[in-house]
Amino acid sequence: MDSPKLLREVDSVDTQLDVHMEAEHSTLSNGFTRTVIASAVNDHGNCNQTKQSTLPNGLRKGTRKQQDYIKISVPEPKNRLPLEWWKTGIAFVYALFNLVLTTVMITVVHERVPSKDASPPLPDKFFDYIDRVEWAFSVSEINGMVLVGLWFCQWLFLRYKSIVGRRFFFIMGTLYLYRCITIYITTLPVPGLHMKCAPKLYGDSQAKLQRILRLISGGGLSITGSHIMCGDLLYSGHTVMLTLTYLFIKEYSPCRFWWYHICCWLLSAVGVLCILVAHEHYSVDVVIAYFITTRLFWWYHTMANIQTLKSSPHNYLSRSWWNPVFRFFEKNVQTQVPCAYSWPITWPPSCLKTSCKSYSMVQSARRQ
Amino acid sequence: MKKVAYWSPKEVSSWLVEEGMQEYLESFQNLNGQALLQLTEDDFKKNPLSKITSDSGRHLLDKIETLKIEHHIEVHKNGHANGHLSIGINEGSNKNKRNGIPNGFRKEVVQIPMPQPERSPFPLEWGKTLVAFIYALSCFLLTTIMISVVHERVPPKEETPPLPDKFFDFFDRVEWAFSICEVIGMILVILWFVQWIFLKYKSIIGRRFFFIVGTLYLYRCITMYITTLPVPGIHFKCSPKLFGNWEAQMRRIMKMIAGGGLSITGSHTMCGDYLYSGHTVMLTLTYLFIKEYSPRRFWYYHWVCWLLSVVGVFCILLAHDHYTVDVVVAYFITTRLFWWYHTMANQQVLKEASQTNFSSRVWWFRAFKYFEQNVQGIVPRNYQWPFPCRPSFISRQVKYNRIDT
Repeated sequence: MDSPKLLREVDSVDTQLDVHMEAEHSTLSNGFTRTVIASAVNDHGNCNQTKQSTLPNGLRKGTRKQQDYIKISVPEPKNRLPLEWWKTGIAFVYALFNLVLTTVMITVVHERVPSKDASPPLPDKFFDYIDRVEWAFSVSEINGMVLVGLWFCQWLFLRYKSIVGRRFFFIMGTLYLYRCITIYITTLPVPGLHMKCAPKLYGDSQAKLQRILRLISGGGLSITGSHIMCGDLLYSGHTVMLTLTYLFIKEYSPCRFWWYHICCWLLSAVGVLCILVAHEHYSVDVVIAYFITTRLFWWYHTMANIQTLKSSPHNYLSRSWWNPVFRFFEKNVQTQVPCAYSWPITWPPSCLKTSCKSYSMVQSARRQ
Repeated sequence: MKKVAYWSPKEVSSWLVEEGMQEYLESFQNLNGQALLQLTEDDFKKNPLSKITSDSGRHLLDKIETLKIEHHIEVHKNGHANGHLSIGINEGSNKNKRNGIPNGFRKEVVQIPMPQPERSPFPLEWGKTLVAFIYALSCFLLTTIMISVVHERVPPKEETPPLPDKFFDFFDRVEWAFSICEVIGMILVILWFVQWIFLKYKSIIGRRFFFIVGTLYLYRCITMYITTLPVPGIHFKCSPKLFGNWEAQMRRIMKMIAGGGLSITGSHTMCGDYLYSGHTVMLTLTYLFIKEYSPRRFWYYHWVCWLLSVVGVFCILLAHDHYTVDVVVAYFITTRLFWWYHTMANQQVLKEASQTNFSSRVWWFRAFKYFEQNVQGIVPRNYQWPFPCRPSFISRQVKYNRIDT
């Protein structure tokens, strides 16, 4: 390897370094000690016998008319934010699997929902105060779609798409997994008599499969007519999506876009409120969904952003069951993901690259 | 080595080169050892030295001092350089540093007065513990009132049958299971209390317990209130509703508080407080605290408490006294809150609110800061006898002669 050469400043009269170069290490500046000493000799007009090896670094007296530029070859820093698209792929598969599992679970649970006459809607404080508004649920779903669209566009422009995408898929997948568990273990009755539940298919597996596919293709939304099944109440998936997209939008956009944040917050809040106004979910479903979503999001991001937690023995946050998966995803991410953007498509490259000013002196030295 | 005072100019020059101060070579060409020792700061302020030196000769003067010390140690050969700096030096013109004594070269023991640390890293602050206790108490009271309110709204068993629950499908009801659960709960609470008494930093840990318990019951108030689940089993005997009869309701509340909310004591005859399960909260939380604040090596003790806790929770479900989702949500919320609080308390970096610290976005962050601000670091698991007078068989003190006298 080339001996690293030192780039010297023009005026270094004030600095006096106390570093002494031992004879063994003098190979580094041997080429220069002679010239410096020679020039010092010339300045003072004296002849000196000096040991070449003991010239401290950077110690120069007098001004130099001739500048020597020396190239320092810096080793490439290890990439602190590796892209690792394959991990994002795994997270995507995980999220997809959980979505499908949720759909299957909804179909299963639908069979067990008590009928409206047998089990009337449970008493709910919100329903006592606010009567049902019919079109509110469509508003909520439209808000959800807008937020998802905004988040997707924003995601396209992020520089570290893979890392952020990975986080989104993982958190969403886990939330839907939790949701599978809660809808399965206890089945709540329908929140209102207005709900039209599809008839039960006792044991007809093919029809059930068709329902599952219909639900998946419609994205689980009532607007698309895919959500005709009942029973998936605790907790609310709509609230999860509204809250989660808002959290991600806010987290990965620049701070100065406060108007954008407020808009998205409004969309999210109105969407959640409309779910309740439409009497489509109980209040407890929405509250628990909000709680679980925010906690999981903050938990994950605290662990990911604060590097000391990753190795600390007193990190109780690592006692969650998904900690090994977290470590797999975030192992090589060594710093907080910066708020950096780039064009989603890199073609044509020459048009979009910003040209730096050329620094003639350094570049000419480089060319040597 | 010759004494510095007797150095020739050549030796001075070679010393300068050795010390890396070649810049003085030209000026000190004819300087001998004695003159070297006589150099002062003023010499460096005049020409020509002022042009050569970049730090008013500080470095060179320091080196000369070192030289003096080395030589005096050498001369005396007894490890002392007792300030006898007069050999070969003109004391008049020199600024002698009288502190030429190297550290530690003394025979007698020196007592170093250590300043008392102003603040212990774990201040007791019982005042804050009292605040936390009052908070927990008020949350309990609020829960009791809420149960009483919710009881009025529970749909009757005939109108709304118990909801379908997977656990109930597999396991039939066992009658005495709930008593077991409550007995286990009481055992765990007593164990935790006894353990707490022996802790050294009772106040800090007690504060944490009260705050977490209070917050969990507060959350419980909210979830119970907003949606009322029907009774999980036909076996439930719910006391009759008292529509608007405040006095009777007040008496009911008192009875419940007095009985600690347990069915064993006959105080819990009200229905409707299902989402989420308070019994699970207590079982889980006492186990978490017991495990956290007891020595690692008591693994058998941890295992026993864990078993008790698990059996207790299982018995709640076996008795069909709560839905499965109540228990699962209670477990989730309790563990998350406990771990979250303790991670924040144990990491200094998480105690400040910042952009990266998402843990500070919880609504109780201010209260947390109030409680844990002065606690620096992780509370050690230290124990001490709770009472001031120590029985003789407990005290085993080793006397260290030299230090104690």
